[in-house]
Amino acid sequence: MSFRLHRALAVTWKEALDLRKNPGLLASMLALPAVLVLVPTGVVWAWLRHPDAVTFRSMALYYDPTLPLNADPVRFMIDKLVVDWFGIFLLMPIFVPILISSQSVAGEKERRTLEPLLAAPVSASELVLGKSLASVVPAVAITWLSFAVFVVAVDAVAWPLVHGPVLPNGMWLFGVGIVAPLFAFLGNGLAVLVSARVGEARLAQQLSALVVLPLMGLVGGQLAGWIRAGTGYYAVQGAVVLVLDVLLVRASVRLFDRERLVSRWT
Amino acid sequence: MSRIEVRSLSKAFGSRTAVEGLDFDVGAGEVFGLLGPNGAGKTTTVRMLTGLLRPTSGRATVCGVPLDGDGEALRSRVGLLTEQPGLYDRLTAEENLRFFLKLHHRDTSESWDTARRWMQRFGLGGRENDKCGTFSKGMRQKLALIRALLHDPEALFLDEPTSGLDPESARTVRESVGELAAEGRTVVLCSHNMAEVERLCSRVAVVKGRLLAVGTVPELRRQTGVVEIHVEGRAGAAGELLSPIVPPCVWVAESHVLRVTLAGGVSIPDVVALLAGGRVRIHAVLPAQRALEDVYLELTRGTEAEAT
Repeated sequence: MSFRLHRALAVTWKEALDLRKNPGLLASMLALPAVLVLVPTGVVWAWLRHPDAVTFRSMALYYDPTLPLNADPVRFMIDKLVVDWFGIFLLMPIFVPILISSQSVAGEKERRTLEPLLAAPVSASELVLGKSLASVVPAVAITWLSFAVFVVAVDAVAWPLVHGPVLPNGMWLFGVGIVAPLFAFLGNGLAVLVSARVGEARLAQQLSALVVLPLMGLVGGQLAGWIRAGTGYYAVQGAVVLVLDVLLVRASVRLFDRERLVSRWT
Repeated sequence: MSRIEVRSLSKAFGSRTAVEGLDFDVGAGEVFGLLGPNGAGKTTTVRMLTGLLRPTSGRATVCGVPLDGDGEALRSRVGLLTEQPGLYDRLTAEENLRFFLKLHHRDTSESWDTARRWMQRFGLGGRENDKCGTFSKGMRQKLALIRALLHDPEALFLDEPTSGLDPESARTVRESVGELAAEGRTVVLCSHNMAEVERLCSRVAVVKGRLLAVGTVPELRRQTGVVEIHVEGRAGAAGELLSPIVPPCVWVAESHVLRVTLAGGVSIPDVVALLAGGRVRIHAVLPAQRALEDVYLELTRGTEAEAT
C-alpha cells in the first residue's frame, strides 16, 4: 500500500481535535512543565535569599575540588543546578507524548473505534506517523515554551547576584533544540508500541512511563557527582535515543498490522 | 458478473477454525443476507471481505479486487458498518464524518453536501455541530451508517444496521438499503432480524462455521420444510413407519395429523411412499408455509444435532 501524506495528516488532524477537547489530558500535560519550571526557579530563589558563602563553597568543592578560590560558589552552584536540571527537564518531552499516544492508540481500542478506522484506506505507516505527529509536535512545543519561561524566570531571579543572564547557554540550546525532540520521539515510540500490545490506555501509560526510571538514575548519578553533565554528555544521550527511535518506529509499524489488531482488540 | 465471488474461503485463528469452505456469489444491485447464530463466523467473513483479516485458505474477489491484492483499493471500494458504531465521542458529527472524508481524500464541499443530505434524511439535520457523545444509540448507529456511505462504495457490508433504532428510523434505513441496491450497489446484510432479512434480501446464506445453505428465501424453504399429512387412524403409528429414513427425520403426531420435518434431501414423495407402503390411508398432504425464522432455526439446529 502506497504512503499518502494527506492520510497521515488527516489522522493528526483528528487527534489534535480530540486532544483539544480533552481537558483532563490537557491538565495532565501542563502539570509537569509547571513543576519542572517552578522547582529549579524556586531553588535558585531560595539560595539567593541566604547566599552563605561558606556552605556554598563546601558544596561546590564536593562537585569540583579544583574550584578556584576567587570563583563565586553560589554562581557555580546555580550553573551546576541548571546543567543537571536539563536531565530532569527531559522528562517533559518523554512524558507528554506518553500521555497523548497512550490515549490515541490504546484509547481507540477502549472506545471501539479501531475497526472502522482500520476499514478505511489508511496504512500502518500513515497511522503511526499521523498519531506520532499529534503527540510529538505538542510535546516539543510545550518543551520549547517551558524552556522560554524557564529562561526568563531563572534570569529574573538570579540577576541580582550574577548581574547577567544564566540562560540560555549553548548546552541548553543544543539540548532543547536537538536532544528534546529525540526524547519526544522516544516517549511516543514507546507509548505507541506498548499501546499496540495492551488494551487499556492507563496500562499503556504506566508501562511506557517506566522509561523515566533509567533517566532518573542518570540524574541521580549527576547529583552524586559521579557523572559530569555537559553538552557532550547530552549529545551521547541524544545519539543513543536516536538509535532507539529508529528501532521503535520500525517495530511500531510492524505491530500496527490490521490482522493482529482486529483479531485481538475488536 | 458477480461483484463478490467467494471460493472455498476459510479462516482459522490458531487451532480454532472460525469459518471453513465458504462458497457464494453476490451480484451488483443485490441485497445478500448473511445469517447465523452468534459466533457462527459472520463477522469473520465480513472482516475478510473488507480486507481486515487475511483468509487462511481459499480466495475471494470483492469489486474486482482479490483479497490478497491491493488492500487500499479494496477498502476504497467497500463501506463497512460495524456492530459497534465506533464514533469519536468528543468530536462533533461533522468532525467525525470529515475525518473519514479526509482519509478517503474526498473532503470537498460536494461530498459534505451529500453527507448533510444523508444526515437530513436520517433525522440528524441540525445536529452536525453536536458532540457524538451526546447522541442516543440510534443516532450513533445512523451516523455510523452515513460514515460507511460517504465515499460512495460499490459494496456495503452492514452488521445489524437497524439494531437499536426506533421503528421509524429502522424503516428509513431499510428503505435506504433498498435504494442503495437499486442504484447498483451490492449490500451484504448481517442480521438476526428475520423479518428484515426476508423483506430486504434477494438471497440469503446461512452460516455456522461453514455454509449451511444459500439461495432465495423460497429456495431455502424448499430445502428444509414441514409437511402436514392427514391420515386415517393414529398418526403416531404412521410416524413409526418413517424410521427407515436416514438421517432420521423429526415428526410430531397429533390425533390424525402427522407433521414431518424434511431434511437431508428427503422429499415429500419419499415420505408418502413409506406411509403408503405401510398401508396408511392418506387423506391430505399439505406443505406448511413457514417463516424464514423456522427455516433458519432448523438449519442451525440441524448442525448441532450432527455435531452431537
